[in-house]
Amino acid sequence: MDSSTLFNNYPISNEFYDEMYNKNEIRPSYKKLYDFLRNFPAEELTKKEEMARRLFMSQGVTFTVYSGDEGIEKIFPFDVIPRIITAAEWAYIESGIKQRLKALNHFLNDIYSNQFIIKDKIMPIDMIYSCEHYLREMHNLKVPHDIFVHISGIDIIRDFDGTFYVLEDNLRTPSGVSYMLENREITKRIFPDLLPQNNVRTVTQYPQILYKNLAALSPRHNSNPNIVMLTPGIYNSAYFEHSTLARLMGIELVEGRDLVVDNHRVFMKTTEGLQRVDVIYRRVDDEYLDPLVFNSDSMLGVAGLMSAYRKGHVTIVNAPGNGVADDKAIYIYVPDMIKYYLNEEPILKNVPTYKMEDVSERKHVFENIEKMVIKKTNGSGGYGMIIGNSATEQEIDDYKKVVLEDPRQFIAQPIISLSAAPCYIDGKLQPRRIDLRPFALFGPSGIEIVPGGLTRVALKEGSLVVNSSQGGGSKDTWVLSV
Amino acid sequence: MLSRVANSLYWLSRYMERCDGILRLLRVNYAYSQDDFEQFSWRPVLMIFSDMDAKNIADVKHEGRKVLQYMITDRLNKNSVFNLVSKSRENARSVQENVTKELWQCLNDYYHKVRLNDIATSLQKEDPVSVIDDLVQQGMHYYGTCEITMARGEGYYFMNIGKYLERAIQSVDILNVKFSELNYSLEERSDPTYWKYLLLSISGYEIFLKSYRSALDSRNILHQIVWNEHFPRSIMYSVRRLKQSFETLKSDRNGEAYKAISFMIGKLESSIKYSDLKDLESKGLQEYLQEIKQDLLAIGHAFNHYYFAFN
Repeated sequence: MDSSTLFNNYPISNEFYDEMYNKNEIRPSYKKLYDFLRNFPAEELTKKEEMARRLFMSQGVTFTVYSGDEGIEKIFPFDVIPRIITAAEWAYIESGIKQRLKALNHFLNDIYSNQFIIKDKIMPIDMIYSCEHYLREMHNLKVPHDIFVHISGIDIIRDFDGTFYVLEDNLRTPSGVSYMLENREITKRIFPDLLPQNNVRTVTQYPQILYKNLAALSPRHNSNPNIVMLTPGIYNSAYFEHSTLARLMGIELVEGRDLVVDNHRVFMKTTEGLQRVDVIYRRVDDEYLDPLVFNSDSMLGVAGLMSAYRKGHVTIVNAPGNGVADDKAIYIYVPDMIKYYLNEEPILKNVPTYKMEDVSERKHVFENIEKMVIKKTNGSGGYGMIIGNSATEQEIDDYKKVVLEDPRQFIAQPIISLSAAPCYIDGKLQPRRIDLRPFALFGPSGIEIVPGGLTRVALKEGSLVVNSSQGGGSKDTWVLSV
Repeated sequence: MLSRVANSLYWLSRYMERCDGILRLLRVNYAYSQDDFEQFSWRPVLMIFSDMDAKNIADVKHEGRKVLQYMITDRLNKNSVFNLVSKSRENARSVQENVTKELWQCLNDYYHKVRLNDIATSLQKEDPVSVIDDLVQQGMHYYGTCEITMARGEGYYFMNIGKYLERAIQSVDILNVKFSELNYSLEERSDPTYWKYLLLSISGYEIFLKSYRSALDSRNILHQIVWNEHFPRSIMYSVRRLKQSFETLKSDRNGEAYKAISFMIGKLESSIKYSDLKDLESKGLQEYLQEIKQDLLAIGHAFNHYYFAFN
């Protein structure tokens, strides 16, 4: 250990993989950053932190929490110390995600048409029909270029030995990419010149790639298709992201009330009358998309949208019905899908997962509950889960009862310890647990993943929950080119 | 452009213009209240810009600090600077990708500034003019950012329409309230300070001295505020600019809407242009102002009907 204040007493632990330290050695990828930081006075870093906070606030990179009539602006906590991924690690993650996405996309095409995977007995049929995100309305609907999963955010974690695992596949309307972009902009400001010195690959091309893909999906073959982004509106916690992406792509940000369907075609209401819409990048969930087909109370969607989609007059991105592929019980079958559809061995591993529906697996889970996490198959945001070693006996008993009511809705996984990266907390660097969400874009010309992603961090000491709703923050994520 | 977006930009701009008008009025009136505490009353300001009833106004009309607090930081007064800036920023937020990043940040900074608690404290305990100056400057920052960064497209012109419509309405309202104190009589002799502060409150004092080179006469004052095309807050100037901005919206796709509003603005412009002090006196000042106000409001409604509420 050295005597610089920032690294003073940085605890080295064997219980988790530390991204910066290999035992007492600094990993080569972190060497330059380490050298930069060790001469850095803590007060200066506190100033940088304050500067970052101010920049986020002033740019409105915030979400609003409403209490009473007045909204309070909050920023998603940002840790100034970047997380570093080596070129080799990235190549591995990238190839693993591409492979996985290809298989999942094959699965969606298959499950909404011939269902060979069921006929060939790779997966039992009740897995599908018991999944509440399976949409009958998508059956035999030919989606443009056979792409369902245009945008995905597959969550990657590392166990204590550094092995990468896929924690979950987010294939519906994954969010967080604006933070990937904003965090990088902030790093440029608070640590001038540090990015080029470290050979960090850029992420700024993301909106252009997405735009190119969206334009290529237009049902009308004109040179200037009308692409819109559909948002639930300013009260949505991800609204900042919606407006940022719309701005960066130069497309119109619309709400449901701005659109109308006439003769199976979608139009937006403008100051010059109705204008035809070709592609909708929607950030509204399936069940709110079209009150005529799904939730009839929905004010967020557009009546008649699904019929226009079915007729091929408009493209919806991501395709509706993807929830069947990122269901946490279907997740168990993804390695089998990779073998079945691609005839390849899975590159990225699944976390071992137990079906609570299965009597013997459930018994095993309940008997080893202190080593297990039980989750809802359709849950997200860190809600609806229980971590066996940090819950009280009463909480566990209550949870068991809920599980037994409808076991199909639950899975269990052994507690993965999650790797840790140094964070600047209380004037010194301390390890905190992290995950990684790279954003993959699947267009007619293939899958592209910008080198980077959103690193979420559990800011509470010892916590394994990185979700922003549960006290998580984020970091800039550096993928090195060499 | 989306109708909803046009509507938000229009209101964003109207609120900012109103906010600027209020702040300038408050600043000058506060100075006036220090000069002439016997004659001075906050009544005109409260009449123009608040929903307060006569009784409440009577209660606070000599309580400068209370009025400032009410007009700047009060959460319940829907025309307080706090609420105007919040609404303006909320409108900007819902159309963020249609304003430049610079403009959004400027409004967002303004919003965070008016939320600070020290504003209320300073207004109570320190020099209120410094607080107001600081806010006015943030507003000027907004105007500058808008001019420098916004593309000259539909969005910019809808913002200008909102701005000049609001400004014209304000000028009418200010004349209305100020002259109502004199029973709309042009003969009533009033203390020159009264007129001086009226002009100062709409940043028109220096122009007046240069243009009229005469005593503060009520007719000259009316001329400046209604007809003087070199005065950027005159009704004539505002209507002209409103017309210019509107004319850029002409397109083949919305002929009906364009024709209807074009007619209304043209008619209003002519009725001001081809009337003079004599006509005004024979009609009566109160009625003259009333007609202009009604025409302005009707134009606002027509925008709602033809451009913002497309169904």
